[in-house]
Amino acid sequence: MRSEDLVSQLSRGLAPVRRLPSPLAMLGLWCLICGAVIGAALLISGLRSDFAAWLMDGFDLYHLVMAALVALTSGYAAFQVALPDRDQRWALLPIPAVIGWLVTMGWGCLADLARLGPEALNITVSYACLVFIIGLGVPMTAGIVRLTRHAALLRPTPVAALGGLSAAAFASIGLTLVHELNAAVMVLVWHGIAVMVVTAIGALTGPLLMQRAPTA
Amino acid sequence: MSASEERTTRDARWSALMAAAQDGNARAYDTLLCECLPLLRAICRQRLRNTAEVEDAVQDTLLTLHRVRHTYDPARPFRPWLAAIAERRALDRGRVVARGLARNTGLEAADHVGVDGEAEGRVMSADLRSAVAELPAAQRTALQLTKIEALSLAEASARSGMSMGALKVATHRAVATLRRRFGMES
Repeated sequence: MRSEDLVSQLSRGLAPVRRLPSPLAMLGLWCLICGAVIGAALLISGLRSDFAAWLMDGFDLYHLVMAALVALTSGYAAFQVALPDRDQRWALLPIPAVIGWLVTMGWGCLADLARLGPEALNITVSYACLVFIIGLGVPMTAGIVRLTRHAALLRPTPVAALGGLSAAAFASIGLTLVHELNAAVMVLVWHGIAVMVVTAIGALTGPLLMQRAPTA
Repeated sequence: MSASEERTTRDARWSALMAAAQDGNARAYDTLLCECLPLLRAICRQRLRNTAEVEDAVQDTLLTLHRVRHTYDPARPFRPWLAAIAERRALDRGRVVARGLARNTGLEAADHVGVDGEAEGRVMSADLRSAVAELPAAQRTALQLTKIEALSLAEASARSGMSMGALKVATHRAVATLRRRFGMES
Protein backbone atom coordinates (compact mmCIF):
# COMPACT_ATOMS: atom_id res chain seq x y z
CA MET A 1 0.00 0.00 0.00
CA ARG A 2 1.24 3.48 -0.82
CA SER A 3 1.44 6.00 2.02
CA GLU A 4 -0.90 8.29 0.07
CA ASP A 5 -3.54 5.51 0.10
CA LEU A 6 -3.09 5.09 3.85
CA VAL A 7 -3.63 8.84 4.27
CA SER A 8 -6.92 8.52 2.35
CA GLN A 9 -7.98 5.58 4.50
CA LEU A 10 -7.19 7.42 7.74
CA SER A 11 -9.01 10.56 6.60
CA ARG A 12 -12.14 8.72 5.49
CA GLY A 13 -14.84 8.99 8.15
CA LEU A 14 -12.52 10.86 10.52
CA ALA A 15 -14.09 11.14 13.97
CA PRO A 16 -13.61 14.29 16.08
CA VAL A 17 -11.48 13.82 19.18
CA ARG A 18 -11.47 15.56 22.54
CA ARG A 19 -8.19 17.36 23.05
CA LEU A 20 -6.10 16.25 25.96
CA PRO A 21 -6.05 18.84 28.78
CA SER A 22 -2.73 20.55 29.54
CA PRO A 23 -0.22 18.78 31.83
CA LEU A 24 -1.10 21.26 34.60
CA ALA A 25 -4.81 20.46 34.30
CA MET A 26 -3.99 16.73 34.27
CA LEU A 27 -1.88 17.24 37.41
CA GLY A 28 -4.87 18.96 39.05
CA LEU A 29 -7.07 15.97 38.20
CA TRP A 30 -4.40 13.58 39.49
CA CYS A 31 -4.14 15.50 42.78
CA LEU A 32 -7.92 15.34 43.19
CA ILE A 33 -7.86 11.58 42.68
CA CYS A 34 -5.00 11.13 45.16
CA GLY A 35 -6.63 13.51 47.64
CA ALA A 36 -9.81 11.41 47.50
CA VAL A 37 -7.84 8.18 48.04
CA ILE A 38 -5.89 9.62 50.98
CA GLY A 39 -9.13 11.08 52.38
CA ALA A 40 -10.73 7.62 52.19
CA ALA A 41 -7.69 6.11 53.97
CA LEU A 42 -8.03 8.77 56.69
CA LEU A 43 -11.74 8.00 57.07
CA ILE A 44 -10.99 4.30 57.47
CA SER A 45 -7.86 4.49 59.65
CA GLY A 46 -8.31 7.90 61.28
CA LEU A 47 -5.70 10.62 61.74
CA ARG A 48 -2.73 9.53 63.85
CA SER A 49 -3.30 10.37 67.50
CA ASP A 50 -0.10 12.40 67.92
CA PHE A 51 -0.61 14.42 64.74
CA ALA A 52 -0.70 17.91 66.30
CA ALA A 53 2.40 17.33 68.42
CA TRP A 54 4.13 15.62 65.52
CA LEU A 55 3.45 18.53 63.19
CA MET A 56 5.01 20.97 65.62
CA ASP A 57 8.31 19.20 65.11
CA GLY A 58 10.00 21.02 62.24
CA PHE A 59 11.66 17.95 60.73
CA ASP A 60 8.40 16.08 60.23
CA LEU A 61 6.77 19.02 58.54
CA TYR A 62 9.73 19.32 56.15
CA HIS A 63 9.47 15.60 55.48
CA LEU A 64 5.80 15.95 54.58
CA VAL A 65 6.45 18.99 52.37
CA MET A 66 9.29 17.20 50.55
CA ALA A 67 7.13 14.13 49.93
CA ALA A 68 4.43 16.42 48.52
CA LEU A 69 7.02 18.09 46.25
CA VAL A 70 8.15 14.68 44.98
CA ALA A 71 4.54 13.68 44.32
CA LEU A 72 3.76 16.90 42.45
CA THR A 73 6.97 17.22 40.41
CA SER A 74 7.05 13.56 39.35
CA GLY A 75 3.36 13.68 38.45
CA TYR A 76 3.84 16.83 36.39
CA ALA A 77 6.92 15.35 34.71
CA ALA A 78 4.93 12.22 33.81
CA PHE A 79 2.21 14.30 32.11
CA GLN A 80 4.85 16.33 30.23
CA VAL A 81 6.96 13.38 29.07
CA ALA A 82 3.81 11.56 27.92
CA LEU A 83 3.35 14.15 25.17
CA PRO A 84 5.27 13.56 21.92
CA ASP A 85 6.71 17.05 21.51
CA ARG A 86 7.91 17.65 25.07
CA ASP A 87 11.56 17.52 26.06
CA GLN A 88 12.60 14.24 27.69
CA ARG A 89 14.55 16.26 30.25
CA TRP A 90 11.24 16.92 32.03
CA ALA A 91 11.91 13.49 33.53
CA LEU A 92 14.68 15.09 35.63
CA LEU A 93 12.27 17.52 37.30
CA PRO A 94 11.65 15.45 40.47
CA ILE A 95 15.35 14.87 41.18
CA PRO A 96 15.88 17.94 43.44
CA ALA A 97 12.73 17.08 45.40
CA VAL A 98 13.83 13.43 45.77
CA ILE A 99 17.25 14.59 47.00
CA GLY A 100 15.54 17.03 49.37
CA TRP A 101 13.31 14.23 50.67
CA LEU A 102 16.31 11.95 51.29
CA VAL A 103 18.30 14.78 52.91
CA THR A 104 15.38 15.63 55.20
CA MET A 105 15.10 12.02 56.32
CA GLY A 106 18.88 11.72 56.66
CA TRP A 107 18.94 14.90 58.75
CA GLY A 108 16.17 13.42 60.90
CA CYS A 109 18.30 10.31 61.45
CA LEU A 110 21.25 12.47 62.59
CA ALA A 111 18.99 14.47 64.92
CA ASP A 112 17.63 11.23 66.43
CA LEU A 113 21.19 9.93 66.79
CA ALA A 114 22.24 13.07 68.67
CA ARG A 115 19.12 12.90 70.86
CA LEU A 116 18.89 9.16 71.58
CA GLY A 117 22.33 7.78 70.74
CA PRO A 118 22.94 4.57 68.72
CA GLU A 119 19.53 3.29 69.80
CA ALA A 120 18.01 5.71 67.31
CA LEU A 121 19.42 3.67 64.45
CA ASN A 122 17.71 0.43 65.46
CA ILE A 123 15.71 -0.85 62.54
CA THR A 124 12.77 -3.15 63.09
CA VAL A 125 10.52 -4.62 60.45
CA SER A 126 7.47 -2.48 59.68
CA TYR A 127 5.23 -4.46 57.35
CA ALA A 128 2.45 -1.94 57.96
CA CYS A 129 4.43 0.74 56.10
CA LEU A 130 5.22 -1.58 53.22
CA VAL A 131 1.68 -2.88 52.92
CA PHE A 132 0.14 0.59 53.17
CA ILE A 133 2.37 2.31 50.59
CA ILE A 134 2.42 -0.62 48.16
CA GLY A 135 -1.27 -1.42 48.69
CA LEU A 136 -2.26 2.19 48.06
CA GLY A 137 0.54 3.09 45.64
CA VAL A 138 0.02 0.29 43.12
CA PRO A 139 -3.68 1.01 42.39
CA MET A 140 -2.86 4.72 42.28
CA THR A 141 -0.06 3.96 39.80
CA ALA A 142 -2.64 2.16 37.66
CA GLY A 143 -4.68 5.37 37.83
CA ILE A 144 -1.91 7.65 36.57
CA VAL A 145 -0.93 5.08 33.95
CA ARG A 146 -4.49 5.26 32.66
CA LEU A 147 -4.30 9.07 32.58
CA THR A 148 -1.08 8.89 30.54
CA ARG A 149 -2.02 5.92 28.32
CA HIS A 150 -1.39 7.98 25.17
CA ALA A 151 2.34 7.55 25.94
CA ALA A 152 2.11 3.83 25.11
CA LEU A 153 3.38 4.41 21.58
CA LEU A 154 6.06 6.91 22.51
CA ARG A 155 7.82 6.81 25.91
CA PRO A 156 5.86 4.37 28.09
CA THR A 157 8.57 3.30 30.55
CA PRO A 158 9.77 6.70 31.87
CA VAL A 159 6.18 7.93 32.03
CA ALA A 160 5.06 4.87 34.00
CA ALA A 161 8.08 5.10 36.32
CA LEU A 162 7.43 8.79 37.03
CA GLY A 163 3.76 8.00 37.59
CA GLY A 164 4.71 5.22 40.01
CA LEU A 165 7.00 7.60 41.92
CA SER A 166 4.26 10.19 42.18
CA ALA A 167 1.71 7.61 43.35
CA ALA A 168 4.15 6.20 45.90
CA ALA A 169 4.95 9.67 47.26
CA PHE A 170 1.23 10.41 47.66
CA ALA A 171 0.79 7.04 49.40
CA SER A 172 3.73 7.91 51.69
CA ILE A 173 2.00 11.17 52.63
CA GLY A 174 -1.17 9.21 53.37
CA LEU A 175 0.76 6.79 55.56
CA THR A 176 2.48 9.64 57.42
CA LEU A 177 -0.95 11.03 58.28
CA VAL A 178 -2.39 7.78 59.63
CA HIS A 179 0.53 5.77 60.97
CA GLU A 180 2.88 6.62 63.83
CA LEU A 181 6.46 5.95 62.85
CA ASN A 182 8.55 8.52 64.62
CA ALA A 183 12.07 7.17 64.20
CA ALA A 184 13.53 8.90 61.12
CA VAL A 185 15.62 5.87 60.24
CA MET A 186 12.47 3.74 60.10
CA VAL A 187 10.80 6.31 57.85
CA LEU A 188 13.89 6.44 55.64
CA VAL A 189 14.16 2.66 55.29
CA TRP A 190 10.53 1.56 55.04
CA HIS A 191 9.11 4.50 53.13
CA GLY A 192 12.20 4.40 50.89
CA ILE A 193 11.88 0.68 50.12
CA ALA A 194 8.13 0.93 49.52
CA VAL A 195 8.52 3.94 47.21
CA MET A 196 11.22 2.13 45.21
CA VAL A 197 9.05 -0.98 44.92
CA VAL A 198 6.04 0.98 43.67
CA THR A 199 8.18 2.94 41.19
CA ALA A 200 9.70 -0.30 39.87
CA ILE A 201 6.27 -1.92 39.58
CA GLY A 202 5.12 1.15 37.65
CA ALA A 203 8.11 1.02 35.28
CA LEU A 204 7.72 -2.72 34.66
CA THR A 205 3.97 -3.09 34.32
CA GLY A 206 2.91 0.41 33.28
CA PRO A 207 3.86 0.08 29.59
CA LEU A 208 1.77 -3.09 29.28
CA LEU A 209 -1.20 -1.48 31.02
CA MET A 210 -0.94 1.53 28.71
CA GLN A 211 -0.97 -0.72 25.65
CA ARG A 212 -4.03 -2.58 26.88
CA ALA A 213 -5.97 0.57 27.73
CA PRO A 214 -8.15 1.84 24.88
CA THR A 215 -6.91 5.18 23.54
CA ALA A 216 -9.18 8.21 23.84
CA MET B 1 8.92 35.67 1.00
CA SER B 2 12.06 34.40 2.79
CA ALA B 3 12.53 30.74 3.67
CA SER B 4 11.95 31.35 7.38
CA GLU B 5 8.76 33.32 6.66
CA GLU B 6 7.58 30.52 4.40
CA ARG B 7 8.26 28.03 7.14
CA THR B 8 6.42 30.11 9.72
CA THR B 9 3.42 30.43 7.43
CA ARG B 10 3.45 26.71 6.72
CA ASP B 11 3.72 25.85 10.43
CA ALA B 12 0.75 28.08 11.23
CA ARG B 13 -1.20 26.49 8.39
CA TRP B 14 -0.38 22.96 9.61
CA SER B 15 -1.41 23.86 13.16
CA ALA B 16 -4.74 25.17 11.88
CA LEU B 17 -5.27 22.08 9.71
CA MET B 18 -4.52 19.76 12.64
CA ALA B 19 -6.89 21.70 14.90
CA ALA B 20 -9.59 21.31 12.24
CA ALA B 21 -8.76 17.59 11.94
CA GLN B 22 -9.19 17.19 15.70
CA ASP B 23 -12.67 18.64 15.24
CA GLY B 24 -13.40 15.95 12.66
CA ASN B 25 -12.60 17.80 9.41
CA ALA B 26 -11.52 14.90 7.16
CA ARG B 27 -10.53 17.13 4.28
CA ALA B 28 -8.18 19.20 6.45
CA TYR B 29 -6.66 15.96 7.79
CA ASP B 30 -6.13 14.54 4.31
CA THR B 31 -4.52 17.80 3.12
CA LEU B 32 -2.31 18.00 6.19
CA LEU B 33 -1.06 14.42 6.01
CA CYS B 34 -0.38 14.66 2.26
CA GLU B 35 1.59 17.89 2.80
CA CYS B 36 3.54 16.26 5.63
CA LEU B 37 4.58 13.14 3.70
CA PRO B 38 7.79 14.67 2.24
CA LEU B 39 8.87 15.80 5.71
CA LEU B 40 8.10 12.37 7.19
CA ARG B 41 10.09 10.67 4.43
CA ALA B 42 13.02 13.02 5.02
CA ILE B 43 13.01 12.30 8.78
CA CYS B 44 12.77 8.53 8.27
CA ARG B 45 15.46 8.60 5.58
CA GLN B 46 17.91 9.97 8.13
CA ARG B 47 17.64 6.72 10.09
CA LEU B 48 16.86 4.16 7.39
CA ARG B 49 18.53 3.52 4.06
CA ASN B 50 16.18 1.11 2.32
CA THR B 51 13.34 2.91 0.49
CA ALA B 52 10.78 0.26 1.43
CA GLU B 53 11.78 0.52 5.09
CA VAL B 54 11.49 4.30 4.91
CA GLU B 55 7.97 3.95 3.52
CA ASP B 56 7.04 1.44 6.22
CA ALA B 57 8.33 3.85 8.89
CA VAL B 58 6.31 6.66 7.31
CA GLN B 59 3.20 4.48 7.48
CA ASP B 60 3.94 3.50 11.09
CA THR B 61 4.21 7.22 11.83
CA LEU B 62 0.87 7.94 10.17
CA LEU B 63 -0.83 5.18 12.19
CA THR B 64 0.69 6.43 15.46
CA LEU B 65 -0.16 10.04 14.65
CA HIS B 66 -3.74 8.98 13.99
CA ARG B 67 -4.01 7.24 17.37
CA VAL B 68 -2.51 10.09 19.41
CA ARG B 69 -3.96 13.00 17.44
CA HIS B 70 -5.86 14.15 20.55
CA THR B 71 -2.52 14.91 22.28
CA TYR B 72 -1.68 17.76 19.90
CA ASP B 73 -2.13 21.22 21.42
CA PRO B 74 -3.04 23.74 18.66
CA ALA B 75 -1.40 26.50 20.70
CA ARG B 76 1.98 24.85 20.06
CA PRO B 77 3.82 24.35 16.74
CA PHE B 78 2.83 21.22 14.83
CA ARG B 79 6.19 20.31 13.30
CA PRO B 80 8.05 19.30 16.52
CA TRP B 81 5.05 17.17 17.53
CA LEU B 82 5.04 15.41 14.17
CA ALA B 83 8.84 15.09 13.99
CA ALA B 84 9.03 13.52 17.46
CA ILE B 85 6.57 10.80 16.43
CA ALA B 86 8.34 10.18 13.11
CA GLU B 87 11.75 9.93 14.76
CA ARG B 88 10.44 7.44 17.29
CA ARG B 89 8.85 5.22 14.62
CA ALA B 90 11.94 5.40 12.39
CA LEU B 91 14.10 4.40 15.34
CA ASP B 92 11.81 1.44 16.09
CA ARG B 93 11.82 0.39 12.44
CA GLY B 94 15.62 0.64 12.40
CA ARG B 95 15.76 -1.73 15.37
CA VAL B 96 13.48 -4.20 13.58
CA VAL B 97 15.70 -4.05 10.49
CA ALA B 98 18.83 -4.58 12.57
CA ARG B 99 17.27 -7.59 14.29
CA GLY B 100 16.13 -8.99 10.93
CA LEU B 101 19.64 -8.60 9.52
CA ALA B 102 21.11 -10.45 12.47
CA ARG B 103 18.58 -13.26 12.01
CA ASN B 104 19.23 -13.49 8.25
CA THR B 105 22.96 -13.65 8.87
CA GLY B 106 22.28 -16.63 11.10
CA LEU B 107 20.22 -18.30 8.38
CA GLU B 108 22.94 -17.74 5.78
CA ALA B 109 25.45 -19.35 8.09
CA ALA B 110 23.13 -22.37 8.33
CA ASP B 111 22.71 -22.66 4.55
CA HIS B 112 24.75 -25.83 4.35
CA VAL B 113 22.40 -27.61 6.76
CA GLY B 114 19.80 -29.83 5.00
CA VAL B 115 19.54 -30.49 1.29
CA ASP B 116 20.71 -27.34 -0.45
CA GLY B 117 18.93 -25.16 2.14
CA GLU B 118 15.72 -26.74 0.87
CA ALA B 119 13.54 -25.88 3.88
CA GLU B 120 14.58 -22.27 3.92
CA GLY B 121 14.13 -22.05 0.20
CA ARG B 122 10.59 -23.31 0.53
CA VAL B 123 9.73 -20.84 3.31
CA MET B 124 11.28 -17.89 1.58
CA SER B 125 9.93 -18.78 -1.83
CA ALA B 126 9.56 -15.92 -4.22
CA ASP B 127 5.84 -16.60 -4.58
CA LEU B 128 5.21 -16.26 -0.90
CA ARG B 129 7.29 -13.14 -0.61
CA SER B 130 5.48 -11.53 -3.51
CA ALA B 131 2.08 -12.53 -2.04
CA VAL B 132 3.04 -10.95 1.28
CA ALA B 133 4.28 -7.83 -0.48
CA GLU B 134 0.90 -7.46 -2.21
CA LEU B 135 -1.03 -7.45 1.07
CA PRO B 136 -2.38 -4.09 2.30
CA ALA B 137 0.15 -2.31 4.53
CA ALA B 138 -1.80 -2.89 7.75
CA GLN B 139 -2.14 -6.63 7.05
CA ARG B 140 1.52 -6.88 6.04
CA THR B 141 2.61 -5.13 9.21
CA ALA B 142 0.35 -7.32 11.37
CA LEU B 143 1.62 -10.50 9.70
CA GLN B 144 5.24 -9.41 9.98
CA LEU B 145 5.01 -8.56 13.67
CA THR B 146 2.72 -11.31 14.98
CA LYS B 147 3.62 -14.28 12.76
CA ILE B 148 7.12 -13.69 11.38
CA GLU B 149 8.69 -11.84 14.31
CA ALA B 150 6.37 -13.73 16.70
CA LEU B 151 5.84 -10.69 18.94
CA SER B 152 3.04 -10.68 21.49
CA LEU B 153 -0.06 -8.69 20.55
CA ALA B 154 0.88 -6.02 23.09
CA GLU B 155 4.40 -5.66 21.69
CA ALA B 156 3.12 -5.65 18.12
CA SER B 157 0.57 -3.02 19.07
CA ALA B 158 3.23 -0.78 20.61
CA ARG B 159 5.47 -1.21 17.56
CA SER B 160 2.85 -0.64 14.90
CA GLY B 161 0.56 1.85 16.56
CA MET B 162 -2.39 -0.44 15.73
CA SER B 163 -4.79 -1.55 18.46
CA MET B 164 -4.64 -5.19 19.52
CA GLY B 165 -8.11 -5.75 18.06
CA ALA B 166 -7.06 -4.25 14.71
CA LEU B 167 -3.92 -6.42 14.75
CA LYS B 168 -5.93 -9.59 15.30
CA VAL B 169 -8.31 -8.74 12.47
CA ALA B 170 -5.50 -7.72 10.10
CA THR B 171 -3.50 -10.89 10.86
CA HIS B 172 -6.56 -13.07 10.34
CA ARG B 173 -7.30 -11.38 7.01
CA ALA B 174 -3.68 -11.61 5.90
CA VAL B 175 -3.56 -15.35 6.64
CA ALA B 176 -6.91 -15.87 4.91
CA THR B 177 -5.68 -13.98 1.83
CA LEU B 178 -2.49 -16.07 1.68
CA ARG B 179 -4.45 -19.29 2.11
CA ARG B 180 -6.74 -18.31 -0.75
CA ARG B 181 -3.78 -17.32 -2.88
CA PHE B 182 -2.11 -20.70 -2.41
CA GLY B 183 -5.34 -22.72 -2.64
CA MET B 184 -5.15 -23.87 0.98
CA GLU B 185 -8.58 -22.70 1.99
CA SER B 186 -10.82 -25.48 3.23
